[in-house]
Amino acid sequence: MNASLPVRQEIAVPASIVRGDSASGSMLEVCSVRVGPTVFGIPIEHIVEIIGGVRPRPVPLAPDFVGGLIHYRGDILTTVSLRRLLYVDGIQCTDGRQDIVVLEGPGGCFGLQVDSVGQVLTVSSADHEPNPSILDGHRRALFAGAYKLTDGLLIMLDSARLDPDLLSPALIRSERVDSGPAIGLLKS
Amino acid sequence: MPHCPQEPGQNLAGQARPMDDLTREFLIESQEGLDRMERCLTDLEERPQDIELLAEIFRSVHTIKGTTGFLGFRRLEKLAHSGENLLGLLRDGKLSANQSIINGLLQLLDGLRGILHNIEVYQHEGEGFDEALIGRLDELQYPDVSGVEASFPHQFECSVENGPATSEQTAAIMIGPPFIAISGQQDAAINPAAPGATGAKASTASDSTLRVDVTLLNRLMNLVGELVLTRNQILQTTSLDSNLTVLSRRLDMVTADLREAVMKARMQPVSYVFSKFPRIIRDLTQTLNRRVRLVVEGQETELDKSLLEAIKDPLTHAVRNSLDHGIEPADVRIACGKEPEGTLKLRAYQESSHVIIEISDDGAGIAVDKVRNRAIERGLITSERAAHLADRELMQLIFLPGFSTAESVTNVSGRGVGMDIVRTNVEKIGGKVEIESRPGRGTTLRLRIPLTLAIIPALIVHSLNQSFAIPQGALSELVHIPKERIVSVIEWMEGSPLYRLRGHLLPLIFLDQMLDPTRGSVPSTSAAADPFSDVLNETAPTVQGQRDDFIAVLDVDGRRFGLVVDGLADPEEIVVKPLSAVLKSIGYYSGATVLGSGDLALILDPGALAAHASIAMTEYDRPHQAIEPDHATAPTSAQYLLVETAERRAAVPLDDVLRIERVPVSRIEYADSRPVLNFAGRLLPVQDSTGELSRAGRTAETPVTVVVCCDGNRNVGIAVTNVLDVATGGELFEAGSERRASGVTLLNERVTNVVALDSVPSLPSEFQSELIFGSDWIEVSAAKV
Repeated sequence: MNASLPVRQEIAVPASIVRGDSASGSMLEVCSVRVGPTVFGIPIEHIVEIIGGVRPRPVPLAPDFVGGLIHYRGDILTTVSLRRLLYVDGIQCTDGRQDIVVLEGPGGCFGLQVDSVGQVLTVSSADHEPNPSILDGHRRALFAGAYKLTDGLLIMLDSARLDPDLLSPALIRSERVDSGPAIGLLKS
Repeated sequence: MPHCPQEPGQNLAGQARPMDDLTREFLIESQEGLDRMERCLTDLEERPQDIELLAEIFRSVHTIKGTTGFLGFRRLEKLAHSGENLLGLLRDGKLSANQSIINGLLQLLDGLRGILHNIEVYQHEGEGFDEALIGRLDELQYPDVSGVEASFPHQFECSVENGPATSEQTAAIMIGPPFIAISGQQDAAINPAAPGATGAKASTASDSTLRVDVTLLNRLMNLVGELVLTRNQILQTTSLDSNLTVLSRRLDMVTADLREAVMKARMQPVSYVFSKFPRIIRDLTQTLNRRVRLVVEGQETELDKSLLEAIKDPLTHAVRNSLDHGIEPADVRIACGKEPEGTLKLRAYQESSHVIIEISDDGAGIAVDKVRNRAIERGLITSERAAHLADRELMQLIFLPGFSTAESVTNVSGRGVGMDIVRTNVEKIGGKVEIESRPGRGTTLRLRIPLTLAIIPALIVHSLNQSFAIPQGALSELVHIPKERIVSVIEWMEGSPLYRLRGHLLPLIFLDQMLDPTRGSVPSTSAAADPFSDVLNETAPTVQGQRDDFIAVLDVDGRRFGLVVDGLADPEEIVVKPLSAVLKSIGYYSGATVLGSGDLALILDPGALAAHASIAMTEYDRPHQAIEPDHATAPTSAQYLLVETAERRAAVPLDDVLRIERVPVSRIEYADSRPVLNFAGRLLPVQDSTGELSRAGRTAETPVTVVVCCDGNRNVGIAVTNVLDVATGGELFEAGSERRASGVTLLNERVTNVVALDSVPSLPSEFQSELIFGSDWIEVSAAKV
């Protein structure tokens, strides 16, 4: 059951585009976010809210990908640092403040910490490609293919797989398989 | 968002989850009906002729039958139908309720509950064999002694085994021996009056109530918490503008009222839990062959719903214990000169911010010798150690895991998972368990439950430049260590830090090292390579020695340890927010909260910290678990807080000390030239007999130490220069007359005056101090200076 999960995920996203095809002319609205040099896309229907310039409170002893905690409408949300999740090195924004995309996961809301939030793009399913086979296992589990835009690739994030509660076992699995971070492949 | 049928598996799962509203409504209603039926059935045993009760039971079953037919639950309908037939006869007076009919009806109740449970969990009625039960119910309609007896073989199993004497007793507990139909027509005229009145009252109550989903209440609570926070921030920013101050005061008031109202909405009377006990006790008395009368007091006391759920199991455990170990069989009781019928009392009442639930019996009490022997036998304590323990301390052993005095394992008790479960579960929700027992006279178990779980008092501490919250319930005292003394007061035993607290060695945990293991393991010198080297003993404290430290002495799950933190902030009432599973799995945090300043703080789980540092249970010195002191044997030497004022030493009885505050002198204000301290609108009269407040060389910001004490039901403050120590006072006798001297005590070999708290003048009545610090405040801060 578990072994077949990544495969199913890869099929699921193109299928949702096909679904859009019949209903609203194969277009999908995607919010672009930037981490380091790379631009990622998140379908806007998964986004609850975007909060700018927050500094999450760090949690000692938390897994590395956990950015911290933020206060969001009476709840305390766990944030996932996309930067650390993808092992992107380098200096973050000036004072640790980052933009946070609040996403709705199966177990409740959580925050995705990115360097900056870009804009809403409309992409066509015709431009979608599944994850390439050379992508390492860790990223293959997090990405849902890419859209070929005129100025580069828009890597789609599988927002359901970014839920911090689901990430920890997934990471342990893939880290064993990983030979190391392969950021070069991602650069557009 | 349109769903496409591409994945049948997912769709099926999606369909199974939501139950249609009609079924859900039906389940809730039926459960309520069955709860009512259970209560009525146990009442029916006492008043078998009560027509109102029978009608109520009939209605519950009838409603279920009517709705199931409509919803298509055939199994449920069939079972309810046969029950309805029997109940119809009872209601119409064609049949009298007797023991076996009530047994049958209770089985019907369990049967119906089982099916409802299946519907709730699996969305279908499940497979089951109801024919036997239906057959029994049908037979009961014809009160033919031999037939019914044959169909209830297991009901009388225990009484048959125990011989004729006990079967007589069993019958006596209940309304009478089976099948002696009480011809109660003459009673019927009297009975309906009272229940009829209560029935009418109940229906008006249900008219004015509304069923609300708990998740909605939780959401409301969240929003109110948010509002409280926003209010705090507004209050901070508007203090400059007088117009806004007036408005924000009103906002403040409305918010407080709103918070209170929402909290109230989450409260439920404890009768919700208590009402289950008549049935449990009825079943247990039959199995155990006891005669027990249940007395319930304070059913209307209210408690947060989630807490009620949490105490259900501990209470059941405690009641089972009382019946099995406490109340003796009737013949033993008669031999002891007691009433043959034992009394089990459940009592609930509110005491400041706690609800106390007492389970008391008039049984055999706890034999301390038996406890000691069993504890040694089970290897829970060494015999040398046991010899040194007082009775009171030995009694605490019953809370250790694996303890049981039952001679043999029965299905009621004896598995050794009794009282420790009670304590663990109660402590999990921030409560406490106390036990009090007199051999031959009975045992009282007292559960002390906080009113709500959602908002708890907590101490905010700093470490790693972050704020953390420690639940006040676990905190027993605070010790301040100035930075120049850290090296000398923390003692090291082969790398394990210890602190000498009033003669006892207290294991220490450095919070910063625990949360950031790289800090402790990389000391500044190379000596760290060998953990057993003497050099480490010298260097490790210096890693800490850069600033003042505080030791929070925590007492949780029988473990006592000191948590070393960098700084303290004020205690705050915090709203507990859940953490995501990934952070919960770290194990150290039980939640998170938003502080008044808007910062986030993680709530530490003291029990988990102790367990991680392998701090063991201590059998001694559990001040919170103490039973009420027996005044006849109360020790004559008392503990005193030794203070220094204007170079003279004085003693304050430690039992009266609530807290120690350090405030700038400017905080002390004067009402009618009497010094007072303003605590959030409550005034504390301050005694300054030695002119501490007006001493030369003081500026407005010089801190002054105020010992907050309770004197009867009021609180007073005593201004002192320094708090020196806590010591045991010795008695002094007047030479010649040998009269005990009052007002002085011998402390550390020096004669010391005891501060007379009642000499602090009261404020004029309109200023009357209403300060009530509950036990959840820092109880004693023995600040070593």
